[in-house]
Amino acid sequence: MPNRNGSVYGLTILSPIIDDKKATPSHDLQIRNYLAHLSTREESPFAQAPGTHLARLVVMDDVIYVGMPAHEEHLKSKYLIFESNCDGDLDTYLSGLAAAIPDHLNAVWKHCVGYPGAANRQAFIDYMKACQLETTFFFAAVNDKTVTETLRALQTQTAVADFIATHQGVDVATLQREFIEFVVHLKSQPLPRPGSMGPHREIKTGGRNE
Amino acid sequence: MSNINGKVYAMNAVTPMKPWKTWILRTIFFVLGHVKPLQNDLIDLSFIEFARWVVVPRSSFPFLGSGQSKEDLRYDYLLFFSNFNGTWNQYIDAFSAVLSKGLNLIWRWSEKFPGSVPVTIFKEYISRVQFDTDYYYTAYPHATANDVKSAHIVQSSLNGLSLAAGECNPEQFAEAYLRFVLQVQAHLGETGEAPIAG
Repeated sequence: MPNRNGSVYGLTILSPIIDDKKATPSHDLQIRNYLAHLSTREESPFAQAPGTHLARLVVMDDVIYVGMPAHEEHLKSKYLIFESNCDGDLDTYLSGLAAAIPDHLNAVWKHCVGYPGAANRQAFIDYMKACQLETTFFFAAVNDKTVTETLRALQTQTAVADFIATHQGVDVATLQREFIEFVVHLKSQPLPRPGSMGPHREIKTGGRNE
Repeated sequence: MSNINGKVYAMNAVTPMKPWKTWILRTIFFVLGHVKPLQNDLIDLSFIEFARWVVVPRSSFPFLGSGQSKEDLRYDYLLFFSNFNGTWNQYIDAFSAVLSKGLNLIWRWSEKFPGSVPVTIFKEYISRVQFDTDYYYTAYPHATANDVKSAHIVQSSLNGLSLAAGECNPEQFAEAYLRFVLQVQAHLGETGEAPIAG
């Protein structure tokens, strides 16, 4: 199934945004304003809900006209694109979102046509599926690991590098004892929070040369 | 708005296609999906974490009623979403240099696609059909695709050595530890903030 690559699911949703000429600011701008103030780090809604590797939200204003002799045409609705690379099956993932971050979902999708709210779990899932597009081709560089497994592995990678660096030339009995202690200690460490450990860097433009 | 989070860049592109051509593209993707060696170039471009192509038929834009106007389009559309490490220029340059035939095979069915070589005209086309990301999240912003692959190799090797560590004498452990270091030594690169492209 093209939506899936290994154990990773590629979710693509296009939700039509309400076109209300009386709304000020317009609904698409209200979505953009809300998203502009949302954390992209460990406080992100997607960090609080389980199973998201990478996700994006994009307001698509229109299709693109590439010039003559192509035909110029325009969309009648603006669409909110939700693109997520996530673990597990779709129902479980969407249920996890609705359970963990209903207020954020409602704040964004209340500007979309026909959105039923996250409180009614089945209605929410049915709505998202009604807006879902089938992926034609999905590539994943790592397709058999969950978010939790990847965060754990990255934590392990750093710890192992430190252990090796600090245990050069140590006698073998000490090395074995301290390695066993190291593994026990590592397993007892809390998992890094999703979205954490990133650089604190102000990016104002998202420019193409950054 | 930002297309960047940590070490990952989110690219979105939409290109129009004549509906009869989308079936050719679907066939190409079907073959690409089922003949894994054809994906080798994509895999070799090891700075791509996830990428997807979505063909949206002109009649398949979600329609929910409730006052929404139904789309009336002449073209089908190809949506492309990529999550890659590095800068936009590095990405397009590498794509053009390494995957030019593959790119042409995918996008030549889109209107006015100029070809992926020469790269300057290709970049102008991408600039025209790209649109920006409003919100971008990654669970591991400090890590590249290669960091993630390496981390899983280290984790797997560590798990193997952990199982053996308690059951062998110090000399046997020393040998196993040396093998472990040899296995992981190329996968211990430090993660952290990306360098600023000059």
